[in-house]
Amino acid sequence: MSYERYLDGDPVIITAALTGGVHGKEANPNVPETPAEIAAAAQACEAAGASVVHLHARRPNGERAFSRERFQELTTAVRDATDLVIQHSTGGTGAPDDLRHEPLRTDPAPDMASLDMGPLNRYDHLTSENTRALVGSLAAEMRERGIKPEMELFNSGHITEARRLVEQDVLEPPYYGTLIFGGGTLTRPTPGNFLASIHDLPDETLFNTLGFGPHQLPFAAMGIVFGGHVRVGLEDNVYLRRGEKAESNAQLVERAATLAETLERPVATPDEAREILGL
Amino acid sequence: MTCPLLEYRRDGGDHSFETARAYCTATETFVEPMRADICNDRYDLHHAEDCEIYESHASEASE
Repeated sequence: MSYERYLDGDPVIITAALTGGVHGKEANPNVPETPAEIAAAAQACEAAGASVVHLHARRPNGERAFSRERFQELTTAVRDATDLVIQHSTGGTGAPDDLRHEPLRTDPAPDMASLDMGPLNRYDHLTSENTRALVGSLAAEMRERGIKPEMELFNSGHITEARRLVEQDVLEPPYYGTLIFGGGTLTRPTPGNFLASIHDLPDETLFNTLGFGPHQLPFAAMGIVFGGHVRVGLEDNVYLRRGEKAESNAQLVERAATLAETLERPVATPDEAREILGL
Repeated sequence: MTCPLLEYRRDGGDHSFETARAYCTATETFVEPMRADICNDRYDLHHAEDCEIYESHASEASE
């Protein structure tokens, strides 16, 4: 099914994940953290071929922020600078459930928001629980506010959870899920697991491909070839190549766009991405 | 109460920042933003229970 999308030359949506909520400038000084830095990075990524921007808010010292006010300042800056599809993160290991809803409450609401589909471990003692109750309440608020969920599928159990939501009519097609590959509780990054994952997705699901760290480039290539979409950026990978840190998010987006064009898939514009995603 | 190993610094190692950031005096490195929430005991996080660096440091100190 998905390889046909490649053969048909369907456009590939590139999502730029600019900042994240785990590391910051201590890992790579080019990670944007302030609203002005993030808006400038988003603008550069749009010029390089991104059509969706995935946003996390930070405090002035780079630490995590979840409040509506922080997201409002950030999303306004990015909207003013770009025409990108806006996707807010609702992720937040260790943050209370009520704060996880705050990124959905900006004016206007984001076009999309992430929906972490189940538990994953962090460090030695933390687990981002993402209980069914939280996933359900986030999905319900997204539906109420017209926000498309980007299901974050960190392992195969989360695909099972996605199938459950589809069966319960919680989501509206086309469904959109990001297959995530890496260490720890994530799906182990192998081509076999990638193929098994895309074949296990619910019908009518478009998939986005995310490999952490050194897996970003090869999994982007697999996503493009197998008719999926790709996510790149300093949130997930601070290196351009082994031993060489990336200079910017746009550098990683540009590489993904070049890869798509080399593999003869056109890169989606923001308007094309809206059409593909049913926004 | 925040972690006793936490300091806020603008400079350290090869890094220099405009705004003071969380710095772990045990590892002598700037702290990842997610880990800084543990250092600051934010939300339901607590450095004595949730930080393996503090745990290791406390264990060494008691030996």
